[in-house]
Amino acid sequence: MSKLRYLALVAVFAIVAAACSSGGTTDTTAASGGGSDGGGSDAPIEIGMWIAFSDEARLGFTKDRAKEFNELHPEYNVVVQEFDSYNTVFEQAVLAVDSGEPPAIIHFFEAATRQALDAVDASGNPVFKSVTEAVAGRDAILGEPVVLDDVVDAARNYYTVEGSFYSQPWNTSSAIMFSNTDMLKAAGVDKIPATWGEVEAACEKIMAMDDAPKACITWPNHSWFVEQSLGQQGELLANNDNGRSGRATEVFLTSDGMIDYISWWKDMADKGYYIYTGAQRDWDGTSNAFQAQEVAMLVYSSSDTTALTEAGDANGFTVEASFMPYNEAKSYEGNLIGGATLWLLNGLDEKTQDGALAFLQFFNNPENAAEWHKITGYIPITKSAEKLLDDEGWYEQSPNSKVASDQLAAAKDTPATRGALLGNFVSIRDVITIAIEDILVNDLDVADRMAQANEEANKLLSEYEQLFGG
Amino acid sequence: MLIPALTVAALFGAAYMAFAVGHRTPARVAIGAGTATLGAAAPPLALGRCTFAAESTSVDHVLTYALMAGGAWLALIVTRAVFDARDGTREAAGSSMGGEIRSGGFRLGWWVPWALLAPTLAILAVFLYTPAVQTFTLSTKLARLGAPRTVDVCLTNFSELLIQDPTRLVLYPLLAVGAVYGARFWMRRTEPGTWNHRFAEVASVAAMLSVFVALYAIFSPGGDGTVKYRPVYVNTVIISVGIVAFGMTAGLAVAYLAFQKVKGATMYRTLLIWPYAISPAVAGILFFMLLDPTAGIISNGLKEWFGIRMPNYRESALLAQAAIIMASGWKILGYNVLFYLAGLQTVSVDQVEAAVLDGASPWQRFVHIVMPALSPITFFLLVTNLTYAFFEVFATIDYMTKGAPAGATSVSIYEIVRVGVDNGDLGRGAAQSVLLFAAVIGVTLWQFRTSGKRVSYGGG
Repeated sequence: MSKLRYLALVAVFAIVAAACSSGGTTDTTAASGGGSDGGGSDAPIEIGMWIAFSDEARLGFTKDRAKEFNELHPEYNVVVQEFDSYNTVFEQAVLAVDSGEPPAIIHFFEAATRQALDAVDASGNPVFKSVTEAVAGRDAILGEPVVLDDVVDAARNYYTVEGSFYSQPWNTSSAIMFSNTDMLKAAGVDKIPATWGEVEAACEKIMAMDDAPKACITWPNHSWFVEQSLGQQGELLANNDNGRSGRATEVFLTSDGMIDYISWWKDMADKGYYIYTGAQRDWDGTSNAFQAQEVAMLVYSSSDTTALTEAGDANGFTVEASFMPYNEAKSYEGNLIGGATLWLLNGLDEKTQDGALAFLQFFNNPENAAEWHKITGYIPITKSAEKLLDDEGWYEQSPNSKVASDQLAAAKDTPATRGALLGNFVSIRDVITIAIEDILVNDLDVADRMAQANEEANKLLSEYEQLFGG
Repeated sequence: MLIPALTVAALFGAAYMAFAVGHRTPARVAIGAGTATLGAAAPPLALGRCTFAAESTSVDHVLTYALMAGGAWLALIVTRAVFDARDGTREAAGSSMGGEIRSGGFRLGWWVPWALLAPTLAILAVFLYTPAVQTFTLSTKLARLGAPRTVDVCLTNFSELLIQDPTRLVLYPLLAVGAVYGARFWMRRTEPGTWNHRFAEVASVAAMLSVFVALYAIFSPGGDGTVKYRPVYVNTVIISVGIVAFGMTAGLAVAYLAFQKVKGATMYRTLLIWPYAISPAVAGILFFMLLDPTAGIISNGLKEWFGIRMPNYRESALLAQAAIIMASGWKILGYNVLFYLAGLQTVSVDQVEAAVLDGASPWQRFVHIVMPALSPITFFLLVTNLTYAFFEVFATIDYMTKGAPAGATSVSIYEIVRVGVDNGDLGRGAAQSVLLFAAVIGVTLWQFRTSGKRVSYGGG
């Protein structure tokens, strides 16, 4: 018996030891395989691209372009990996840098630009590298013409920090308004309202109809719309020129522009013109309400221009896009961009980096950028792509698609319309939307509640600066 | 202030060993004093004595003393358990039977059990204990992913969740604990069956509730740079209690019905267990599709057939909480039905038949025979359902309300993910998860102490 026991013990140890050692070896092979040289001369160099789109249309588009690039450049293999959110992509990338197998390109949203610039790995090196710096003045990389200089101004201005155009803008949008013109006409509103006052007047007519919809207008409770409104009114969200002439150390959530916008918002809700879907960042709920004709107007991201226009056709009503309504009491400065951009990882060897850069240029070449615009509604990111679409007659065929580009082109280039660069921006956006929800749902005083939010947001910003600042 | 506090702990430890535990010897009294001191010293030493630094607040001090008291209490419980076990073995060895039922041992040596346990312990150490310790460390820091440094903030991540008034912070919990022990003392002093005893029972329930009230009073309502944690606490209590109450009542009711001898009972039973097989996220999506005022099936039906517009459940705190409770309770229903069905098969048929002969109504049989027989299962389900309500509801809430309206469905676990993951504030997220960890331990201990006594496992 005891011999058997010994045998069993020995067997257990052997299995455990084998499991440990085999685990170890797979790790090392994986690490060397993922390493830069890629071992043999035949094996293509892997370019990992991590993106936050997992829907068929946008992920499929990316995968198709990667496949085409791989056929054109057999020495490279671009592998697209999808994640469920921007934050997950970023977290996984930072962790992967420390564990030694990072991707070459990641997809991160505009408001996190400060966070991406500040991110360092365990040994203190920046996680990302400036795309302009990596291109180093070349006109073409591996035969792919560089399109950086061709990028539309609004996007270039947003992603240019301390004089360097840091990342390659991809899905770029602006906040615009979609109107159910059939409903507007039925109510006797002939011109799509362009200002707050006009929206209110139109809503009065619409809600007075016999078959009035549930409400007149809606938009998601997302801080992005607040930021858009500040841009329109020419007001800063943060000090040091919105964090663009130096690091932002203070936010202004009690500015006149802020209070006026939220007060107008609350007023519209109190009158029953604006309907709150009940949740923050509720893109689906607000879009559904518009598609189901429960509201006549929707302020939304231009990213869904194509989908919303088609939904109107499908449900038998006409959708017309227009600029986001502005405060007529102030001069209009302009709207800003939204969306996301592609960051190049730091510390790639030269061949991998060139492959990644070449793919970024290929991915945004005029044909691809135009195609991307058509299937989504994100703006054509380069001037050549715009021209290509214009020559094709695309804009005559779908005029809604041009609104976002026109709105961005109409903006003056000021710190307010460039948008804020802020640390802890995601949490600060949360503070803003929580406060607005509180104001809308619990009927609180706008100035009081925003003063409280201002305090919270400044605390978050100062904590961020403790960790990342100077 | 560290030395006086440790002295108090030592004296208390000695007194506890001298008066509360049998077999009083000078050595044991000394050991009690020693372990209590060690237990009390552990938390401040682990924190690097930062709570006694110049910039610490009085709330930090209160927290530290609470931790020290907890450490001393834990150390004494362990010490007492060790002594009790020894006395027990000695008594058993002294009695005539004791010698024969000595527990078995490994003849190969003391290391054999450890070697056999090693794989499990290694896995636990890597996947459970290390992350747990890291969470504790992280909870005392200001930290973000990708940051070049972290900042030590001592207990700020915890103290900012509380009211900033040390007097009330000490007073309310002490009053609640006093009420609980007072009620228990009263219960012991009164004879069961008398009116006094019934009053004492009512008082002990009230004392239990006073613990919840005390916790409500010490969590910060916001302002003054604190985190508005009181609503999160309230939501967590409402939603957790709601899920457990609804899930278990409905589970028992459905199981009792499905247990009746009807045609196709096996099929019903199988179908009833299905909700358990779906994930909380899917439950969230399903109920969203049912209840959404625009895209939902129910609202469409109401509009088509009756012309009624359904209210938006996300706009009213009450409706939103009810929707979450319904979705989560439904999700755990299958699990509860499963266990209750198994339990019902163990209910003694003889007893039920005897009750029928004695003329007991079906309701009386259910209350006086079936329910007591199911008490072990009820107890088990209480623990598992509460754990579910604390940890698993995240996905359901995320799909249905995202914490809306105005945070009315943001429960503890949802808040942890929002703060720690979405906002990337690792320190605060860790601190809140330590708090949830403590809550689960606390509630489970409380359940073991109270319900444990009333659970009948049969056999006297």
